[in-house]
Amino acid sequence: MLYRKSTLLVATGILVIIALSSLAMPNQAQAIPAFARKYEVNCTACHTAPPILNTYGQWFLENGYQLPGTEDGGTTGKKKLGDVTLDDVGKYLAFRLVGNAVRSWSFTQQNPAGVDTGVAQNKTELTFPENFVLFAGGTVMKNVGFMVELGHDVEGGGAAVERGFVSFNNLGAQDLAHVRVGKFDPSAFYSVVTIRQQLNEVGESASSSCTTAFAPCSFNRIGLAPSAFATKFYGLYDRGGSPLSPFASSLYNSGGELGLDVHGRPFGKAWLYQVGVVNGANEPFGDSNKGKDLYAMLRYDYGHSDYFAANISGFVYHGNSNAKVQTQEDVNWHRYGVSARATYQMVDLYAAYAVDRINHVPSGVSGAFDATATGLTIGADAYVTNETLLSLRYDNLDAGGVLEQRKSATFVGLQAKQYLRTNVAVFVRNDVNVRKSEGGETAARNLRNAFFAGIDIIF
Amino acid sequence: MRRAHVATAAALLGVIVSVSSLAQAAKPEDTAATRAQGQALFERACLFCHGVTGQGDGPAGWFLGRYASPRPQNFTVGSFKLRSTPSGDLPTDQDLFRTITKGIPGYMPGFASLPETARWQVVAYVKSFYPGFRTETPVPLSLVGAPTHQLAESLDRGRALYTSFECHTCHGIEGQGDGPVAQAGELKDAFGLSIPTANLTRPSSFKNGASLLDLVRTLLTGLDGTPMPSYAARLSDRETDAWDLAQYIRALSAESVP
Repeated sequence: MLYRKSTLLVATGILVIIALSSLAMPNQAQAIPAFARKYEVNCTACHTAPPILNTYGQWFLENGYQLPGTEDGGTTGKKKLGDVTLDDVGKYLAFRLVGNAVRSWSFTQQNPAGVDTGVAQNKTELTFPENFVLFAGGTVMKNVGFMVELGHDVEGGGAAVERGFVSFNNLGAQDLAHVRVGKFDPSAFYSVVTIRQQLNEVGESASSSCTTAFAPCSFNRIGLAPSAFATKFYGLYDRGGSPLSPFASSLYNSGGELGLDVHGRPFGKAWLYQVGVVNGANEPFGDSNKGKDLYAMLRYDYGHSDYFAANISGFVYHGNSNAKVQTQEDVNWHRYGVSARATYQMVDLYAAYAVDRINHVPSGVSGAFDATATGLTIGADAYVTNETLLSLRYDNLDAGGVLEQRKSATFVGLQAKQYLRTNVAVFVRNDVNVRKSEGGETAARNLRNAFFAGIDIIF
Repeated sequence: MRRAHVATAAALLGVIVSVSSLAQAAKPEDTAATRAQGQALFERACLFCHGVTGQGDGPAGWFLGRYASPRPQNFTVGSFKLRSTPSGDLPTDQDLFRTITKGIPGYMPGFASLPETARWQVVAYVKSFYPGFRTETPVPLSLVGAPTHQLAESLDRGRALYTSFECHTCHGIEGQGDGPVAQAGELKDAFGLSIPTANLTRPSSFKNGASLLDLVRTLLTGLDGTPMPSYAARLSDRETDAWDLAQYIRALSAESVP
């Protein structure tokens, strides 16, 4: 949606009204999502700053939404239905709503969305709510958990099951093996988790040519996502012929993939392993990709005292016919990543680096395709007061793919988030293009600056 | 009416005694083996907040209150908020067991799902952090008694006590935690961190429990390490005044208490 400048003021007014309305809500409606309601604790028991987990929250997640060290699924107080135990609905359901008003400033000749005429234009985009997520999760019996997350992306249109899986926990022995089956985020246990970011992923704006299968696709505005997670290649397509954005999360760092995941800590508390097989190919439910993708991750945790915790992890993702090039030939697209995270009191530091590689470039694009790309993301979140969270992120994408299209990008994002209540925050964010302007129709070089003002509500 | 109160309180105490006896029945002897088993559980379930040395500085501990109170309990200093013993004394084993079982609303989940024996093992291990537990034998305050006045009279007496003890300076006249001292931000815990005042209209958030008996216990023991003092010395007629004040505090909220 495109609006004139004055609509930004209207949007801001709406955000303020909603924020004030939330203040008028009774305390009982406080932002304590489902798990916090169930266990009668604040969000801060599991989160450094929602949605990012602290070490306790990580172990809670690993254990299939059961308290660390326990295996009962939190059956206390639940209703019995045979072997199944049911909790109050309010302890299963929660939702999150994020809305943005965006003002972007371009270098020369950025195409306005939907019009490919190469006209320089600054513009305001209002998307509210940008993203609405309803999720239900919890446990149904000892060592059996589940999560269903329905998302509605206003800009992208339509609702979809972003995640939906069942977990079987503590198989064999406590923490030996936890299994997730369904559509899940593979990076859930990585040091830097794809779906748990303070600076939310902002989708790119693609030209109208991108709607034609296997057609060359150009981007009017760059997407803003952690570069380590991004596709990184120009000129890749999914199996249906839709172009893959070089800036969108993919592979191990996708938002959700259909498959089976096993993780656990059989070698002691410090080491976490994860192996899995997923459908890959950036497909939703359904499967046209007969060659499955495999991945393995190993993480080392340190954290005993002094309010300090750190971990480092590495993974290998082996793609199997998980993308195509413009000639409609299959490629095997792999990723190798390392990441690290450290928290000390109010500061949360993280970094992730990933190398993407395509083996055996098809003959149809040979010589015109760079088979290697890298992404680096470094960031920090810090509570400067009890209610104010500052986030800083540096992203560098050394792009690969079709040589005549590819263009690398470097951005710095800064966000200030003010929590009006534990569940309601307003934020402002600015992302700056660090690289030299080139103008033209190269999205990675013609976006100068993007400013966001928004609200984040969790119930 | 008075008979009904007495019967209710007697039944309540009966249940507590029964639960206590049941829990005690599963209590293992405090041996090195028991503590070792407790340590294994502690390091899976408690270390994240309380830290490996029990100093309340676990890797997730800072985020509970951030720049404000509470921080996770430091087991090495011998000062405990949630007790049935006089202010300054150590808690009893039963006190520690109760906290592990019920948790602390807002800050610590209850671990009732752990087997009772496992919880007692954790109690044994937690006590090993502070040498005083080896030499002292904490004795709980006597909480005998029950509401002796009819409800209306009890509420009147409780209201008068609420005023005379100046509870409103912290908790506010309506009990909403907005008294002048609280609003001035002057309340600090033992670590010098700002501490919010309990909102008495929200008993579900009471850290030490919200039943009448819980309130009486809190009034008599205070919450060590916080600005909430013990009123044991000032409640001259403990068996009536404490219950009257507890009745009044409960009446400040329409919330039901299980």
